[in-house]
Order: sequence, then structure tokens, then C-alpha cells
Amino acid sequence: MTAPSPNHAARAATLVTFQLNGEPVTVAAPPHWTLVEVLRYQLNLTGTKQGCDKGDCGACTVRVDGAPVLACMTLAVLVQGRSVETVEGLGVGGEPHPLQRTFAELGAAQCGFCTPGMLMSASAYLDDLATRDAPTVDAVEISAVLGGNLCRCTGYTKIVQAVAVAAREVVERAQTLAEMSNDEAML
Amino acid sequence: MLRLPELEVVIADSLVAALTRLAEGRHVRALQGGTDLVANLKTGQTKAQTVVALGPLSELHGIDTSGEMVRIGAGERLVDVAQNAELQELFPALTYALARIASPQIRNAGTLGGNLCLDTRCRFINQSDLWREAMGGCLKSHGHECHVIPGGGGCVAALSADSVPVLMVLGAEVEIARLQDGAVLLRRTRVADLYDTDGLRHVRIADGELLTAVLVPKLPEGARAVYRKWAVRQSIDFPLVSTAVRLDLDRDGKLKQGKVAVGVLGPRPRLIPLDRWVGRPIDETLAQQVAAQVFDRCHPLPNVLYDHEYRRERLRVEVLRAIRTWFTPTAAAN
Amino acid sequence: MNRPLSSNPTSRDLHRIDVDDSPVDASGVVGSRHGRIDSLELLTGVGKYTDDLTLPRMLHCKILRSPHAHARIVSIDSSAAEGLTGVHAVITGADMPVRYGVIPWTQDEYPLALGKVRYIGDAVAAVAAVSEEVAKAALALIAVKYEVLPAIIDPREALTRKDVLIHEDNKHGNISKQVTLAFGDVDAALAGAELVIESDYEFHGATHGAIEPHCAMGHVDGKGLLTVWSTTQVPHYLLRELGRVLDRPSHSIRVIQPPVGGAFGGKSEPFDLEFCVAKLADLTGRPVKCLYTREEVFFAHRGRHPFSMHYKTGFDREGRIVAVDGKSLLDGGAYSSFGLVTTYYSGQLLGSPYVFPAYRFDSTRVYTNKPCCGPKRGHGSVQPRFAIEVQLDKAATVLGIDPIELRRRNFIGENSQTIGGFHVGSSGFLQCLSEVERASGWRHKRGNLPKGRGLGIAGSTYISGTNYCIYPTELPQSAVQICLDRSGRVRVFVGTSEIGQGSNTVVATLAADELGVELDDVRVLAADSDLTPVDLGAYSSRGTLMAGNACLAATRELAAKLREVIAKTWDCPPGDVGLAHRKAFRHSDLTVWMPIQEAFILAESQLGTLGAVGSYKTPTENVHGDYRGGTIGASPAYSFTAHVAEVEVDEETGEVTVLSIWCAHDCGLALSPTLVEGQIEGSTYMGAAEALMEHHRVLPSGLRSDGQKRETGPGVDGLLAASSLLDYRMPTSMDVPDLIALIVERPDPRGPRGAKEAGEGPLHSSIPAIANAVYDAVGVRIDDLPITPEKVLAALKRKAEVG
Ligand code: SF4
Ligand code: FES
Ligand code: FES
Repeated sequence: MTAPSPNHAARAATLVTFQLNGEPVTVAAPPHWTLVEVLRYQLNLTGTKQGCDKGDCGACTVRVDGAPVLACMTLAVLVQGRSVETVEGLGVGGEPHPLQRTFAELGAAQCGFCTPGMLMSASAYLDDLATRDAPTVDAVEISAVLGGNLCRCTGYTKIVQAVAVAAREVVERAQTLAEMSNDEAML
Repeated sequence: MLRLPELEVVIADSLVAALTRLAEGRHVRALQGGTDLVANLKTGQTKAQTVVALGPLSELHGIDTSGEMVRIGAGERLVDVAQNAELQELFPALTYALARIASPQIRNAGTLGGNLCLDTRCRFINQSDLWREAMGGCLKSHGHECHVIPGGGGCVAALSADSVPVLMVLGAEVEIARLQDGAVLLRRTRVADLYDTDGLRHVRIADGELLTAVLVPKLPEGARAVYRKWAVRQSIDFPLVSTAVRLDLDRDGKLKQGKVAVGVLGPRPRLIPLDRWVGRPIDETLAQQVAAQVFDRCHPLPNVLYDHEYRRERLRVEVLRAIRTWFTPTAAAN
Repeated sequence: MNRPLSSNPTSRDLHRIDVDDSPVDASGVVGSRHGRIDSLELLTGVGKYTDDLTLPRMLHCKILRSPHAHARIVSIDSSAAEGLTGVHAVITGADMPVRYGVIPWTQDEYPLALGKVRYIGDAVAAVAAVSEEVAKAALALIAVKYEVLPAIIDPREALTRKDVLIHEDNKHGNISKQVTLAFGDVDAALAGAELVIESDYEFHGATHGAIEPHCAMGHVDGKGLLTVWSTTQVPHYLLRELGRVLDRPSHSIRVIQPPVGGAFGGKSEPFDLEFCVAKLADLTGRPVKCLYTREEVFFAHRGRHPFSMHYKTGFDREGRIVAVDGKSLLDGGAYSSFGLVTTYYSGQLLGSPYVFPAYRFDSTRVYTNKPCCGPKRGHGSVQPRFAIEVQLDKAATVLGIDPIELRRRNFIGENSQTIGGFHVGSSGFLQCLSEVERASGWRHKRGNLPKGRGLGIAGSTYISGTNYCIYPTELPQSAVQICLDRSGRVRVFVGTSEIGQGSNTVVATLAADELGVELDDVRVLAADSDLTPVDLGAYSSRGTLMAGNACLAATRELAAKLREVIAKTWDCPPGDVGLAHRKAFRHSDLTVWMPIQEAFILAESQLGTLGAVGSYKTPTENVHGDYRGGTIGASPAYSFTAHVAEVEVDEETGEVTVLSIWCAHDCGLALSPTLVEGQIEGSTYMGAAEALMEHHRVLPSGLRSDGQKRETGPGVDGLLAASSLLDYRMPTSMDVPDLIALIVERPDPRGPRGAKEAGEGPLHSSIPAIANAVYDAVGVRIDDLPITPEKVLAALKRKAEVG
């Protein structure tokens, strides 16, 4: 019996260049590798988790060009030229992202395994909220935003709360900015 | 963990190039968002040597609502179609249906064309290699018998695409491209005619063909459609009951024409015209009669993972509730 | 303001922790609001779970699994696999021919099957190769010849079929364990009862569904030390079994348990992968890792046992229980796992919070050719709890008594004894009932809700650890080692397993509170057998009580030393010295204080390196019954719970929506209230999911010729209906009810600062509360879980026909 090729580079790995958490990176990705494999096994960014590997749980959620998608279902070679954000890139300058802070303080992460994926879905929601004209924070909308991220520990209550608290900060900031620009307009 | 088998990935740089590769046969597959194909390749139920990624093809993009037929590129992401304000205005049932597909992440990657071409689903095929090996396979894998209808004629795995029933009642068409003598040739077919009864290959698109766009005629005055989906969970799940109802009313509020489309039966959705009720007012009696008719004509099978007798009863109720939205203002419409 | 400065010359240039001049806050850390101390690390992606670890030259392991539910292994030929480039070793059952099992008396599993396979998914061989892909390719080259045997799927069949034996050498055929215990004259009491409720209940199987799949990595170093990193929740038992199976002395094994991504009982015994990576690492001389696929997690299972129950309960006219007679058939799956304990728990844990004047239970666990059942959150007692709480509801209906009132009347009381001889210490059960009654608006809502809406109540109790270890021992069940030093930091070394429940935070909270530091000043190092003292693991809700007590013992010793040193400085009695929030202060004069770091420096300079150990052993006096089995299920302290569920039943579709669930839980004292709420919410959600949608189902063959209507399907027994997170439907954020967590505190003298468990108790009564609410809403009883729309619809139809 002839052995199948043991070498995953049997089909030549392709050089893929993309923005990863704001910085350019180039990897040699075997064509059948998904983004989660490249992140975890090649780039050692193990914050992105795997819970099912076929699109059923959301643990592997990352953002590609801003949109939360499943890294286990995304062929790595297809992120060429795009921007990828993972949980490791969430905070700025050593400061945790507001969501990381509220999740930690409010007990929204129990085992923490679903959390990186949750945070990526939630951060997209927060970014979107910041662009809205008259943003409001709504628990039903938050639940829908997190609808593709399974959590087995929390019953979601504290997760929705943590997202809502961070979202309210966004809304308040938007309101302050609006007031400030109003003031400026009056000057 | 589950890994993909080795694959050649071709990133198509032109429609011609894509069609050329797709013409090689079934071992070459078109890849849009990958949310269905990648999972099926990982579990080994779909075998392919090459996938042709269509992402960059401009021919597959764009939403154009200017004409009488609205054109939606097959490569448009589900989220973009679902959130398109004009489409929400024109076809709320369609955007509602798309917004209920799977999960936000999957709608961010998956495309309209991908949903239309979603592989059929069955609890005997959407399983691991080991599972299918243990059961001895079935017609859709390496076996010789269907376990849903043993001794039956073929594979009856379920069409599970949320978009299909709505597009059927809307009278939508799809545009399909292929190559002839090096030139791209387009043909059009009604969504209602797109599907076959063979669960192994239920989309009537030949090797070398590619679905490029969906064309939806604008609704005449007095016409409206409603989509109803039932699944155990509010998110992530494929539909277990999937039905769309369209009623066109005359100025007096009487039925001018109507139809019901039903998915998640076998490989082919069902379109049921409501001609018998033309001229009738839309009320509870009509709703009950139509629902009973749909119940009589549709037989969900034990193919997807839920009690099929309940699914049949539930289909009746969903049709009923869809029609009630015409005369009960509080009933949830889309 | 008095700020005494340290005159200690050696410590002068130390960088000091800033302590502000604000007035002394003597309130302490216990009971304050905080999340998990280690969560930020995990949710920035810095913390490493088992699969996040890699070692140089690491090989990957894959396990070949049986496609037959029951078969004899005739031969295994792995030569082709061994010849594949990139494969370093292939092992089979013959390489580890030693049986293991978490309960020493019922060891009936081999790391890899030897002679026979007993369920689809049973492990047969394992490969170590340069990549997962090569390992997977190698599996396909292993030729196994099986002689397929008839399989048993229905537990009732296990009792009757003598021709099919799943474990040939088992003395009792296919019976894995049988327990009958009787207290008082049950038959007489039932005969004299005003009302006897007699019903059958079916409790279905459910699995844990932790999002992190099982994973293990093994490595043998140059000196022969085997290290295994694992997603286990019982590192100590894993170490023991590794030693037995691999014939290695304990000191040559190190088990490290990195943070675990959820467990719920699903990781509470050793599994094939840990033995395989250890053996393969030994054979190849290279580190080896194995990560389960999601399907393998479903095979590993050890989930909730399906129970078929028959309950007879007698009541007097006032609704007081006069006797309980329960008979249960437990579907154990292919192996024993914790089954012996499950079988006892199925009866023994029911004896409170209600008085049973007479009680009998008869429980039989059988083997079937399915993935093995074991402990899932609320081990062994969730199923009978469902039965008894619905029984009470039925009685309340017949007798016309408010079901909350009926429960109050039956309350066993504090400092009481169950009929089985268990000592119940503190109990906030009545407060739990009142809390959910108040919060849910029970009094004004019940009976006044619109059509299709209903309220249901149920209560329950659970153990805070078991009094006896799984193996007989006089050794401590938990231990803690604590050091503090000039840095102002406290280091806690503890054997407990952090699985997301917050056990590290619990010990940190106690340590910070007792030693006067902030939570951020406490470093907890847990579950590394080379560095931390032995703890038996995260199961049976034992962590808070046992490790908490051990931690208190150590911290109190240290705190006393600190007080003495400071008292000398201030010339006051040690009892006047308080320690809180980075300050040492005088209780009698709060303006006198010093930064705690100064106190540590002072103590270290006078007494040398500061450390203490503490350990915990369960009490032996006045705890349990004095008969065979009378110790199993006895706990130092019991938690209490009550749930009210409000549901809406759609009478056209049969669909049940749980709108809200209120859960009041008596955890003794909430050391970390946010974490306690998290446990209440998570338990209640999990219970609601089991009540309505989840089902770990193993399919019988569809092509049998016995004429009975079967599901359509292939002619093979033992396939899982759902073995993915798509098909095994766990609720999403859009499917959960409003969860309202209400903490009740009734400190128990045996708990650390009075604390009891919170991790499992709050699951139990959620299920019967929902079932009872469905009855209240539409007048039908679904005694056969899960409560699916088709069952409700059928019941409504039957009800309409009967009229
Ligand atoms: S319908 Fe029949 S042939 Fe098709 S996938 Fe299901 S079992 Fe196989
Ligand atoms: S790991 Fe990607 S969705 Fe589960
Ligand atoms: S916190 Fe454990 S899965 Fe969400």
C-alpha cells in the first residue's frame, strides 16, 4: 500500500501577507490550512480557541476586515491582503480593551474558553455602535450579536451585562463628543 | 482536531478562469464564504481536490435595485443583503430570512449564492468519517442504501437553505454562467426550477457552470410575502421547518393569487399554488384551509434531526401563522 | 496620623507598594465584589490552556476508535501504519494491559481496548506522528479485525438478556451496581397514607459540553520524570492511575493542570488520551500531545445517567410526606466510571430538605453498549430530585395546598438528621423558598397569569464535598501552603483544580482577607503535583469547603505570627491588631496603622522566612449513617436551593419558553458573591437546557425484525444521534431565560467562614420547577424528559380528548 504523503507541504505552501493586529505579517500557509491553524500553530497566537472546528461554536471567532468570522472555516490563503484581528490585539498600549475589563470585573468569564471569541463578536458590535447616529444599548441586540458564540459556563447573563456596560461607555463617549462639538459650533 | 484534507486552492482572477477550472468536473468545487463547503470537506462527506475561490470576481458582486428585476450578485455576503435598506424595503421577507441563517459569523462570510447551493442535509451524512463508517455508509457516501427511505429510489436529504422558499414565492430567477468557445454564456432559470429530487446533486447546475446572480422581480401592489422558520434554537441552527407564503390581494382585499413554498422536505422544495382560494378574503378560515392543504401535500422525512411527524404538524402551524399576519396586526410579520 | 516607618536596614531600598492615607477599611475582602483573579490573563489571550502549550519536537497523537458497539478484537495489524513516514510509534491495548477506573473497586477499563470493544468510539490503538495529519493517515492504515457481537442499547434489555455480556467477568451479568436501602416501615406507612402519588419518570441523558475539548501532553525528561499536562479536573487521581497503569512510582510522575476550559464533571477521571500520550512519550522519547475532536468529547462523555424511575410517595392530609419508595434503573453505558457512587447518590442524596419518616430506594445500574455515563453537575441526584419535586407538586394539586407551603411543612430543619443518618447542619432552605416566592411575585401571579403562562416551584439540596475520599485513606483531602515575604505579596500553593468555577479566587479571597492584602497581591499556584500539595480535585463541589478550610488553617497561623510581631511594636495585645486592605491597624484606635508590607518586613526580619501549611480532613463524628453505604453521599455541610420558573406554553405548537427563573441558593456565606451568582446562573441555565432541549441519545438499530416501530436508520446499534455542537443543541445567548440569582447566606460551622458549595446545587431544582410550571400553565404533566414540543402537543391533545 502506498503511503499518503506525510508532508503537509506536499502542495506547496503559499506565502500569505496580511495585517495581523495592525502589523503586517507573512506566513507560508499550506493551502488546506485554515486561519485558526495558522494563528495557533504558526504564529503562536493561541488566544483564538478551537471548540468544534466546523463552525458550530464560535470559539475561534476573529475579525477579518472588521467583521467577526470563524477562523476554523476560513482558508488561510484567502486572508491575503486583508486585516485580521485576534483577541491578542484587542487592548491598546498595554491597557486592556474596555470589554476585557468589564468581562473580568463582572465575572463574565468563568472558564474563559469561549471568551476570546465572545470578545471579538462584542468588539465589532461596540465599533459599530460608535458609528451610529443615536446609539442605544439594548440587551436583546447584544444577545443577537453573541448568537454565534456558545458559552457553557455563564448562562450568558453576565456576558450580556459586561457587553452592555462597555457599550454604555461607548454611548456616553459619543454623547460627550456630540455635546462638545455642539459647544464648539456655538462658539 | 478536525483538519481539512490536502487541497489545491485556486484564487480565481477572472470569471473565465474560474469557469475553466470548474469545467474539470466534480472534484473541483466553487468556494464562496466556505461556511458549508469547508465543514463538509472537514468531515469528509464532500470530497474535492481543488477549490476555486470566487471572492475577487466582480461579476458576482453588486446589488442593483434600479430595474424591474432587482439583481443581487451571488457573491454578496448574507449580512450585506440582509442589511441592505432598499432590499429591506422591497423584500422584507427575504432580508428577514437571510438574517436568520445560522449565526452572525456565518452571515458575515457566507454568500447568497452559497446559500442557494447549500448541500442537502441529513442526519446520516452530516457526521464524521467514523460515524458513517460505523453505519456502513449510505447513497450519499460510500454505501448502497438510504436509511431514511430504505429501498427507496434515491437520496432524499433535505434542502435546508433559508433563502430558497422566499425566493421561490417571489418568483426569483438565477443567472448561471458557463463557457462556450472561450466566451462566457449566461442562462437564466427560475429558482423554482433550480432543484432536483436527487439529494446527491440537487442543484441543477452542471459542471463548468456557476451561479452568478439572483434576480428578483419587484412585487406588484397588494403583494406581500412572509417567511417562517422553526428550529430548536434561535441562532446557529439550520431550519427544521422552513416556509414562505405570498399573497397578492386585489383592491378589495381578496386573494388575486398566492403560493406557499416549503423547504426541508426532501432535496427539492415544494411550491403550492393557492388558486383554489382566488377571490376569497384573507381570514382565519382561509388560513386554516391553506394550512391544511400544505399539511396534506407535504411530508417531512426523518432525514434531519428532529421528529418528522412533529415537523409536519409544525409546518401546518407556521403556514397558519404566516397567513394570520395579513389579518392580525399583532401577529409577528417580517 | 501615625505612620511608623520600618527601621529595618535591609529592606529600606525595597520598592514599596503605595498605600494611601485614607482611613482604615476593616471590611475585608470576603464578600466583596470581584471577578476571577486570573481572568484578565485568560481573556487577553496570554493564559495558556493545555492545547496552547507546545514543546520542541512534539509529536501528535491520534486514537483509533471502534466502529462497532460491541465486538471482539480478533487481530490488529499496525505494520503499515508503523511504516508510514513520520510515524514514530503505534500502541494498542497490549501495550498497557492494566485496568483502571476512578473508583478502586470497579476498575474495568483499559487505556486502549484489550480483547473487546464496548461502544462505538471505544479506543483501540494510538499513533504518535510528526503531525495530526500524518497520525490520522496512519490510523487508516491500522487493520483491525473484529468479530461483531450483539449489542445492548436498551437498559431494560441489559437486565433480561443473559446471552450478551458486556463484561464477561462481572459477577452480576450486566448489572454494574445494585443498591437497596430501606429505613422505617415503608409499606405500612404507604398503606396508611391519606394520599399516595405513584408515577413513572424518565430522565434522559445529557452531556457536559465544555467548550474546551479534552487535551493532554506528555513528556519524559532525561532523568525519567514523566510530566503530563492535562485538561483534567482531578490531577491527583490522574497521577495515581498513571502510576498504576504505567507501573511508575508516584514521585516519577508530575501532573500539571493548566487552566481548564470548562469541565462540569466531564473531565473528572482519567481518559485514554492521558495514558496514550504518557506511554507514547516514553516510547518515542519525545513530547506527545493529543487533542480530542468534538466527536471524541461526545464519546468520552461520562454525562448524566439516563434514569427510569418509579416513585411512590405517601402524604398525610396536611401534605406531610409519610413515606417515599423509589425504584430506579440507571443506564450506565459501557463502563463503571463513578457508577458505584451514582447508584448510591440516586437514593442517599434525597433525604433532605424534607423529612422522610420512612424511605426505601432500590437502584440498579446496568451496562449498555454506549459511551459511559458518569458525573455531570449534580451527580446522581438531579434525576431523583426531578421525580420527588414533581411528586410533591402533584400532591399539592390534589390536596389543594400551595406547593411552596407544602414544601415548608416538610422541611427537615437545621441541625437535623436525615433518615439515612446524614447530619444536616445549617440550612437556609426556608429562606430560599421565601426569596423565590418574593422575587417571582408568586403570591399575586400564581393563578392570575394569562392563559398558557405558569409558575412552578421546586427545592433541593447538595453536598459540599463528600466526607470520604474515593479511595480509603487517613490522609488530608486538601492542603494549602502559603508564603509571604518582604514584597508584600502572598503566595498560595494549592492542589485544587481551577476549571472556571473560581477555586483559585476562593482561596485568594480567604488569604487576602485573613492576611490584610488586596486580591491583586495574592498569587495562586494551583494543581501542579511537583509544586503544590495534594488536593483530590474539582468534583462533588468540594473545593470551597475543603481547600477553603485548609487555606484558613494556614493563613490563620501566619496572621497570628504577624499580629504578634506587630503587637510587640505597638505594645498592645495581638488581638487588637487588625489586618485589612494592605494595612495593619489597631482595632481600638483606627488611626494607628502601618502598611501591611511593613508588617511583612517586620515579621520576616524577626522570624525569618514566613510560611505555613494547612490541611483539611473531613469530620468523622456525627456525619453519616452507620450501615453499609451509610457514608456514601454524606458531606460536612449541605447547600440548599429553590427555583421558581415562569414559563409560557404555546398551545398550538407545544413549545415551552422559559421566561424567567429565579434561583435562591444558600451557599453558607458568599466569599465571592459575583462568582456565586455566576455559578447559580450557569447551573440554572444548564438545568433549563436539560429540561427542554439537550439530549445525549444513542440510537438503536433501525432495521430490527421484532415488529416494533423503530426509528428509520441503519442496521447498526449504538450510533450517537448527536455528536457535534450543531446537533447537540446547547442554548445560545438567544435561547436563555432571564436568570435571577438570589444569594442566601446561612453560614455553616463546618465551612470556611461558614461557606458551602455553590457550583452544582443550583442546577437541581431548575428542571422540576420548569416541569411544574408547564403543568401550571396548561395542565399537562410531562414526566418524561426532555419537555419537547411534540410531547407537550401530544399531551395537550390527550387532555382535550379526555375532556
Ligand atoms: S437521505 Fe438517505 S442517502 Fe441521502 S444522506 Fe440521508 S440516508 Fe444517505
Ligand atoms: S472552532 Fe470554529 S466555530 Fe467552533
Ligand atoms: S466562560 Fe466557559 S464557556 Fe464561556
